[in-house]
Amino acid sequence: MLRFLFQLSCLLALIPAQAQRDTVIQISATGGLQYSQKRIVVKPNTRLTLVFHNKDDMAHNLVITRPNSRLRVVEFALALGDKGASQHYIPAIDDVLAHTSSVEPGNTDSVTLKLTEGGYPFVCTFPGHGFIMYGIIYATKDVKRLPQPDQDINMPNPARTQEAAHQHHSAASGHPFPITLPAVYRTFMPDCGPAAIAVGLPGPNGGQSYVFDAGECRIRYAWSGGFVDNTEQWEGKGQLLTKVVGDIYYRDLGGFPWRVGSTVPKAQFKGYSLINRYPEFRYVMNGVEVRELVKPLARGRGLVRTFTFGPTKKTLSFINKPQPGIRVQSSVGRFQKETLIIPPGTRQVVLTMKYEVVLGARSEE
Amino acid sequence: MFASLILSSFLFASAPADTISDYYEVETIATPPGLVAETGGLSFLPDGRMAACFHRGEVMLYNPKTKAWKLFADGLHDPLGVVAVSNRELLVIQRPELTRLTDTNGDGVADLYETVADDYGMSGNYHEFAFGPVRDAKGNLYISLNTGSNGAGIRDEVRGQYEPLGRQGRMYACVPYRGWVLQIRPDGTIKPFASGFRSPNGIGFDAKGRLFVTDNQGDWLGTSKLYHVEEGKFYGHPTSLVWRPGFPNVDPLTLPVRTLDSLRTVESIAFPHESMAHSPTQIVVDNTVGKFGPFAGQMFVGDMDYAHLLRILPDEVDGQIQGACIPFFSKAGSNGTAMRIGNNRLAFAPDGSLYLGQTDHGWLGSRGIQRIRYKGGVPLDIMAMKLTPTGFILTFTQPVDEATAREMANYKLRSYYYEYHQAYGSPQMDVQPVSVAGIQLSTDRKTVSLTLDNLKPNRIYELTLGNLVANNGQKKLMNHLICYTLNKLAK
Repeated sequence: MLRFLFQLSCLLALIPAQAQRDTVIQISATGGLQYSQKRIVVKPNTRLTLVFHNKDDMAHNLVITRPNSRLRVVEFALALGDKGASQHYIPAIDDVLAHTSSVEPGNTDSVTLKLTEGGYPFVCTFPGHGFIMYGIIYATKDVKRLPQPDQDINMPNPARTQEAAHQHHSAASGHPFPITLPAVYRTFMPDCGPAAIAVGLPGPNGGQSYVFDAGECRIRYAWSGGFVDNTEQWEGKGQLLTKVVGDIYYRDLGGFPWRVGSTVPKAQFKGYSLINRYPEFRYVMNGVEVRELVKPLARGRGLVRTFTFGPTKKTLSFINKPQPGIRVQSSVGRFQKETLIIPPGTRQVVLTMKYEVVLGARSEE
Repeated sequence: MFASLILSSFLFASAPADTISDYYEVETIATPPGLVAETGGLSFLPDGRMAACFHRGEVMLYNPKTKAWKLFADGLHDPLGVVAVSNRELLVIQRPELTRLTDTNGDGVADLYETVADDYGMSGNYHEFAFGPVRDAKGNLYISLNTGSNGAGIRDEVRGQYEPLGRQGRMYACVPYRGWVLQIRPDGTIKPFASGFRSPNGIGFDAKGRLFVTDNQGDWLGTSKLYHVEEGKFYGHPTSLVWRPGFPNVDPLTLPVRTLDSLRTVESIAFPHESMAHSPTQIVVDNTVGKFGPFAGQMFVGDMDYAHLLRILPDEVDGQIQGACIPFFSKAGSNGTAMRIGNNRLAFAPDGSLYLGQTDHGWLGSRGIQRIRYKGGVPLDIMAMKLTPTGFILTFTQPVDEATAREMANYKLRSYYYEYHQAYGSPQMDVQPVSVAGIQLSTDRKTVSLTLDNLKPNRIYELTLGNLVANNGQKKLMNHLICYTLNKLAK
């Protein structure tokens, strides 16, 4: 009985923390491609309604994206080309969480969505607007942890270029040495299993980064424009996640990509070696040794993944679940639909993964 | 200057302080600028350098001669233990795995990060720390895995099988082998070795090579304790039972306490929460053959909250390992540099000094590295406490002055126990005074035999000693409190 009461009281104690809140916030478009608010803070598990008044003299919309996905949504909207207007400049990709229609001057529309803990960009995806007209919604219990507005790279600030933000970040590495790319952090990352490895690669505009899931032995996502922010993960006991700095352009939603014969192998992580500080991951799948070295594409956003295999008589194949904006090319063999069959005896395959949102790109490509 | 020297020597002569600082001194080791020195592990390389790993993932090498630091590896996830294998190879435990770091090309920096063991679960809960490794004489490695805490939840994606029956309670084991000690054999196979741990942040061997693990007061632990760990045994924190082969498909917390009690192996030595340890850490054995003073062969244990270490005085009664704990460097010493709290990791250097790696990690503690060096001399302290059928025999480091040794009022005893139950911690239960019926002093005046009116098993005997002295009053007893865990009576 006592035990039951205890459990009941625990349950009751949990309710306030878990309960959904309903919040309505007014936001408007003002002159000069700006929203009236650029940072909105709510509690996690809030059902937020944004009422969007267009007080400007031109049409706008308001699109809420997944964390770190504003740029990708803006680029896909741009790629809609002359089909954009009829679709309210809303690309059909799952990085769009919620959106208004196109709102003519003087009109109003609203958007409602439930927000769990995280930072959710909002942006106008009209051509050209998205690089200037945006802001961020933080669903957080701990407002004190938010960056100062003038330091917040999720807010537009003409005085702060991307490069300056990057310099600020590297100046305080949090280590007895400066962080130079390539760099590796094993840490808790969002949208990944708990055995995550974040890798930052050198390149222009903050470089590119990706997350390798050491539990599943595969890349989970990649981004550009920065590496990671460990501030919260390093504080205290280590519950909070490392944050992605930059814009995610690729997510592998397909599960473990390799097949050995016709089976989906169980991969075992074996570690990595550092080759000029680039990690080359090692794993074994059904007895076949695999090494994977990832480098940034020389130009543009994308990754060059070099796979080297131990000897095997089994046929290997690679499944590429198509991602909008991602083109994959192989140095060996050809893709038949989603499947790349590796010719027997092949010891090395280079997969070039390029992110390119071309005009007229179909979202469902 | 000269005057003050005279003055201080005059003071010393008239009032000998005789504190632990007369025999040992603490030095604070400078760490490199920019390092947040939340120390997770310390180990000495064969060449005398020290490897240290830190919360933000750095593994650094320290040369005690030049006092220079050099980065060996980085990017690890909360590494909490390191063991040097050679001058180029370290074993480091981090949250997701036990990793072998090797400098293959001899440039002084690790370039190979090999997974040695990751065949255990991660729920993503912050409290799922991984500790170790330690290596036995046969080359087996041991690591210990913390349970999760309901201070926070788990991730949507976990590594390993999820078991909801292990998700109940304050500290939980919803993924494999949380609350276990794992053995990794030289051939690489991993064996779940022993279960029933809550927060086993200390693992090590005694002088005979027997494996010991410390665990932290909390649910099911009325106080912090030291276990002698043997294969297949369960040590009392229930949640890890869900990963025991053949364990029925039930939430272990629904079992009656007496059932759990009958399954468990009790601690060898309890660390009373009120006086000895709040959060015990690493175990090291004094293998310095006297370079660290008179306590060669004894185990030392660190603690996060107390500014002292614990010294373990083992006893063995009819095959049962039990014994006493006593503070070492009590109250941080008294002169010179004080010992800080947060002593998470301990390692003996080749020169016989003991390095202390400190952390806070979101709890009470401190940051940095200190070193305790033995200066010489023999402090008056207790070397051994052994159970007899009628009481205890205390052995001192040197002959005790007879008058003080024979003074009945100098021995105050009480006994109590801590409850084994689901609640967090325990008050001291059934506290009873124990009267001393007789005192015998050996002819060499080094051992005192106490005859007690009454001895009962499964209790802690807390002895408070009065002002015993040695060497005609010149030597004062360093520690007045000693606690003996009496599991089994001597026949």
